[in-house]
Amino acid sequence: MRTRRLLTSIILMIFVLMACASALFVVILFGSGKKVVAEASKNHIVYGLTLMPSGFDPHVNSSSELGIVLRSVYDTLLYRDPQTKAFVPGLAEKWSISDDGLTYTFNLRAGVKFQDGTPFDAKAVAVNLDRITNPATKSQKALFLLGPYDHYTIVDPMTIQIVLKQPYAPLLDGLSQVYTGIASPNALQSYDLARYQFHQVGTGPFSMVDYIPGDHLTIRRNPDYKWGPPFYNPPTANSVDEIEFRFFTDPATRATALESDAAQIMGELSPTDATLFTGNSNVRLYPQPIPGAPLQFLFNVSSEPTDQLQVRQALIQAINRSGIVDAVFQQFSPVAYGPLSAVSPYYDPEVTKLYPYSSTAALDQLHGLGFVQSKENPILHKGTQQTLQNLRLVMVVPPWGFAPQVAQKLQIQWKQLGADVVIKEVPSFTDLVAALKDKDNDYNLIVYNDFGLDPSFLNGMFGKQAFNNWTHFESDDLDNWLTSATASQSEDERKTYYMQVQKLIMDQALIVPIRDYVNLNGARANVNGLSFDAYGWFPLLPNLTLGDTPKTATPTS
Amino acid sequence: MMGYLLRRAGAAILTLWLAFTLAFFALRILPGDAVSATLARSGASSEQIAERRAILGLDQPLPQQYGQVLGGLLHGDFGSSLVSNRPVSDMIGEQFGATVILAAGALLVGVLIGVGLGIVVALGSSRWLRWSAALIVSLLLSSPIYWTGTLLITLFSLMLHLLPSAGSNDPQTLILPCLALGLSLAGSIARVTGDSLASLRDEDFVRTARAKGLRRRQIAIQHILRAGLAPVLAVIGLQAGFLLGGTVVTETLFVRQGIGQVLLSAIQDHDFPVVQGIVILSAIVYSVVNMITDLLTAAFDPRVSPTE
Repeated sequence: MRTRRLLTSIILMIFVLMACASALFVVILFGSGKKVVAEASKNHIVYGLTLMPSGFDPHVNSSSELGIVLRSVYDTLLYRDPQTKAFVPGLAEKWSISDDGLTYTFNLRAGVKFQDGTPFDAKAVAVNLDRITNPATKSQKALFLLGPYDHYTIVDPMTIQIVLKQPYAPLLDGLSQVYTGIASPNALQSYDLARYQFHQVGTGPFSMVDYIPGDHLTIRRNPDYKWGPPFYNPPTANSVDEIEFRFFTDPATRATALESDAAQIMGELSPTDATLFTGNSNVRLYPQPIPGAPLQFLFNVSSEPTDQLQVRQALIQAINRSGIVDAVFQQFSPVAYGPLSAVSPYYDPEVTKLYPYSSTAALDQLHGLGFVQSKENPILHKGTQQTLQNLRLVMVVPPWGFAPQVAQKLQIQWKQLGADVVIKEVPSFTDLVAALKDKDNDYNLIVYNDFGLDPSFLNGMFGKQAFNNWTHFESDDLDNWLTSATASQSEDERKTYYMQVQKLIMDQALIVPIRDYVNLNGARANVNGLSFDAYGWFPLLPNLTLGDTPKTATPTS
Repeated sequence: MMGYLLRRAGAAILTLWLAFTLAFFALRILPGDAVSATLARSGASSEQIAERRAILGLDQPLPQQYGQVLGGLLHGDFGSSLVSNRPVSDMIGEQFGATVILAAGALLVGVLIGVGLGIVVALGSSRWLRWSAALIVSLLLSSPIYWTGTLLITLFSLMLHLLPSAGSNDPQTLILPCLALGLSLAGSIARVTGDSLASLRDEDFVRTARAKGLRRRQIAIQHILRAGLAPVLAVIGLQAGFLLGGTVVTETLFVRQGIGQVLLSAIQDHDFPVVQGIVILSAIVYSVVNMITDLLTAAFDPRVSPTE
């Protein structure tokens, strides 16, 4: 009985507490009035990120989102000019490459200090290289950007050499990316691998203030910064001096946040939301083309019926890509024609002439191959009852990049041609990789896209031994060109190789290119100077200013 | 009482072990792992991916991996994330508080609105009032969190500019998520409360109370409510257990910090240690909440003994 009374008392107390909490709730709800709407203070903005990276250490992790923040916390040895894509000095004032392409010598900039006051020198670069290449770091990207890295040599306090095992032309590109940003040796020593991401220190124009996983990450302008590349504007009274990054992982929340001023800049708006913002005077759109591999469907050449070149060619010709891109991406993305997007270095414009849309020509080609339709079997097929081969296509489709919507449009158009099309959706990239490595999974098409300025990412897609060679196409010529392009230091030679590579990929109809990737960014009208680096993903945050009167828009369309 | 608590603790440990074992094998039976997927995008070769998997012990036979992970858990080591390399306990610890606050706030909203509506449905003074309350209960039951949340954002953030739609760094950012998640709980709590109270209206002890000349309000509060709230406590306990699922959606919709976002990413990445850690944590929460609910039920309903 006593226990029961005790319990009853506890319950009564709980209800009293609940009542008090409710009262507090109501006070908060009605007492704070309209002041509660988050408004950007004069020089503080909220920048919406579109996914929550599992880690924010550039040497360890690989997401593009971390680069959006950390591009301005770190400097790299080199930068790439946003317009010309040429290499320009960063922390290295000058660099040279030995004739054999194995030794890269970097003359470092003097007078640079990390945000914690540590002076920058060759030893600092060495510490960073050691960290990236240490197996314990388990680097997911930076390590691979160094290619066949062998060792470094400190020539003098302000000169360092990187020595490779074999020639690797994309090294300079790798050293221009945020993932190889140079961190303070003192900070790296003070914090272990797991904790450094919360206390990052670079030499960049912004310093890290705090990082609360899942909530926000804040950076603040570095007042001592004066060694930036020419495309970083010097600060003015209106410059944004503090940026709080928040995670808007659900696409539906992004437009709402921008509209309600909960965020002042937002990336990856949906084409529908971008269209709605077109007539909104409070928000400006900044569509940003991203270099790399377009959204494309790779043909599996080891599986029937896409093992036949003429079938693949007919299937490409049978689709109205402009119609698909207009319907899904609402004029915000250009149609893709080849394995490289039009803003990528070494892009071959000749690919635009290939495979013009003609369903009649496609059907004629399939008829020529013996595919017919009948009353009993309306699907295009050939062979006798014993050797019957239907034109059946299986597509493996992940959820991002509007791939499911594009896949449905392809399905409709190929069904109109007479094909039987099955879409297998997978929930994540991990499941996509797993599905493709499953030997029992017989697929014909797989969605893929990639980002980057150096076309060496094609090695990973079309190289004979590449992990991601999901086309299963093998060609000595293609392999040689890709390998030679990666090794060559001559721009002309590289261009020639990549032209041949693009031509062969399209002649062999290995891919169905759909659209060049465009990141639909939006910003409140009082935010000025939003522009992006050469890689397209990473904003030039030092150039952001705030003003009441919108200045001339500079959308990079 | 002590014996009862010990028995419940034993059952809870068994539940934890079963939950962990199921999670361990279910995750590993699924094809693919975080390492292959992460490195596949970075241009790593098959050899480099195999080497990394070996470093992390993912190439070992399953029973060996199971033994190692279980051994680590018994020593309080939840392992490290395959994607971020960070200790799972850190990743969960820094998010757990935000989720608990959201869940507690939502439970408060759900209980207050749910019990209130249920009482009106069962014991409302007029038919019109009872029908109105029943209609609201049906609406709450049929509205998913995502829909309710979107409506709340549209109304309070976009139209009235009263409350922020996103964030978790301010107490005011809690209001809309708690309302959205709480309203989703309120429907089922109200339904059970209403049914439970209605079923007691003609019970012998209520007729006796009426015969003794007690007033209607006195009978409702002192007799019907006390006995009728026992099943309500049970459903509140169950809802508290399911709150984690609701917080995943709520945290995503309202851009809040919390364990739901971590779980979602970990499942998508097949980040086994993180998913296992959250499964174990959920099992602990569920066991504790159920034990508390059982004790509270016993306190409310004289017919139930906590030691039975």
